[in-house]
Parts: sequence; structure tokens; C-alpha cells
Amino acid sequence: MDGPVKKIMVYVDGSEKSIIAAQYGICLARATEAEFHVLYVVNTRALNDLVSAKIFLKEEEEEYKKDLDSDADKYLNHVRHLAADKGVNAKVFKLSGSINVEIKNFTKEYEIDLFIIGELSKIQSRRDELYNEAERAMRSVNCSVIIVKDDERVLELYNKLR
Amino acid sequence: MAIVDLIATNVVRVPLKSSTKTEIIRELIDVLDKAGKLSDSESAFKAVIARENMGSTGLEKGIAVPHAKTEKVKNLVLAIGIAPDGVDFDSLDGEPSKLFFLLLAQPSQSGPHIEALAEIARITRSQSFCRLLLNAQTPEEVVELFKEE
Repeated sequence: MDGPVKKIMVYVDGSEKSIIAAQYGICLARATEAEFHVLYVVNTRALNDLVSAKIFLKEEEEEYKKDLDSDADKYLNHVRHLAADKGVNAKVFKLSGSINVEIKNFTKEYEIDLFIIGELSKIQSRRDELYNEAERAMRSVNCSVIIVKDDERVLELYNKLR
Repeated sequence: MAIVDLIATNVVRVPLKSSTKTEIIRELIDVLDKAGKLSDSESAFKAVIARENMGSTGLEKGIAVPHAKTEKVKNLVLAIGIAPDGVDFDSLDGEPSKLFFLLLAQPSQSGPHIEALAEIARITRSQSFCRLLLNAQTPEEVVELFKEE
């Protein structure tokens, strides 16, 4: 644990890119013996916005909240298994709120020194720069950030781990 | 996923030809069907109507966001329609709806579904952007507006 990285955190949102990022995090955690944290944020901020905008009915909000909770459990378990298969102990966390705020707070509270995220969507409009949650998180955290891009190489690295 | 990733000229209808709520939904479903986004347009249509029966998605200031979960799409899909003269959509303020964002998602895609709806909510808060959309004459102009915004 004297290496350059002691606590890694990967943010997963269920996307394929975020799972690849988790696999890269597992490889790094194995190589550095760093603690491996996995975070999923149930985006209740967006749910609240939809109720405020009257796009969602109250019963829809409840239904989608349950869906998101269930997604969170599913993806966190998936990453926990991916890590366990490679001998890495994943500490998984499910939080609720605004994604970028929860990520920032988590990295601070748990003294994360490396934040890993999946490849970001291509910026196609100025709005993307303002509202993309992962991008905002990347800019707001105080620790170093790795954006995982090379899917095939990461899969190869992960699969080669014994 | 940003909604600009979901928008292409083949999922935009300007102007919409229909004049009733049910027809508007049908027309937007047809747009998605013709774009190859649906595996069963009738089921997708019924899912949207079922959601509308719970409460209209006609909001205020001419915006409507019909949406539903359905197994009949592979991925999140969005159709945009513009009816410059407005259509009665049982909106909250009683005003005719002019800008329509029809969103369909797999039941297992609640996360992206919610994020896309929240982005639509944010976009439509901008009255100037809505005015620009309403003035668009072609699908190409609509797509360009989303990229520039």
C-alpha cells in the first residue's frame, strides 16, 4: 500500500462504458493493491426535476425510483463479482441525489486519490458541456481522474488477470 | 446519453400533419417506425396512450412530452414533432401544444430514460430555444438547433 494510489473509486451507471471502466479499475487495484470502491448514484435529482416539471406523475416517480434502485443493486453486484473473480475486494456504495455532487462528496469523504470513469459522450452541443453529469463530476473532484477509452485493450488486460 | 445523440433528421417531423392528440401520438410513432426504431409500432402506440390515460403529458407553454416504457424498442428513442398552429393535448394550462417530444425506452433503461426526460425538461425551460424550434421549417434545422444549443 505504499504505491502512488491507495484508494480507487469507479463510478458505474450501468452503461457498457462504465463497466469497462470498472474492469480497468480492477486491473489497477490488483496492480497497486489499492482499495477498490465502486459507486452508483440513484439520480433522484433528475426524478425530482421531472416531478417539478410535471412530466412525471407522483406514482411514476415512485415506480422509476424502484427501477433505479434495482438497477443500482444489479450493476453493483455485477462489478463486485467482476472484482471477486480477479481476487479484488470491491467496496460498493449506493447513494441518492445529484450525480456530480454525490461523486464529489464521496471522493472527499473517503479520501479517494484516483477517480475512474468510462469514456464520456462526444460533446455535441454547449449544453452537453454544462449538463453532462460525468463531465461535471470529472471537473469538480479534487483527486486525479482517469477516463477509460480503449475498450478492447482493457478487456484484454482484465481477461489476462489470473 | 445526451438527447442530441438521439436526434437525427429521420426522427423529426416538421410540421406535424395531425390535429388531435391521438393522431399526433400515432404520427410520431409512425416516424419512429419508419426510422426503423420500433419492433411493434402498435404496442408502442398503446403504451404511450396508456401513460396518457394516467394523466396528460401536455405541459405548459405549448410543450408536450409523451413517453412510455415498452419492450418494443431496443434502445432509448426520441421523436420530435412541431405543430406551429398547436393541437389540443389536454395540457396543464389549457393552451394548445406545439412542440412534441415523444420518448420510448426499454423497461430496463430507467436511468437513461430519466436523464433524457430531465434534459428535455431543462431545454424546454428556455423560451428563446422553444421559439427557435417553433420557427424551424425543416428537420435539418431542428437537428442543427440542438447541436448549437
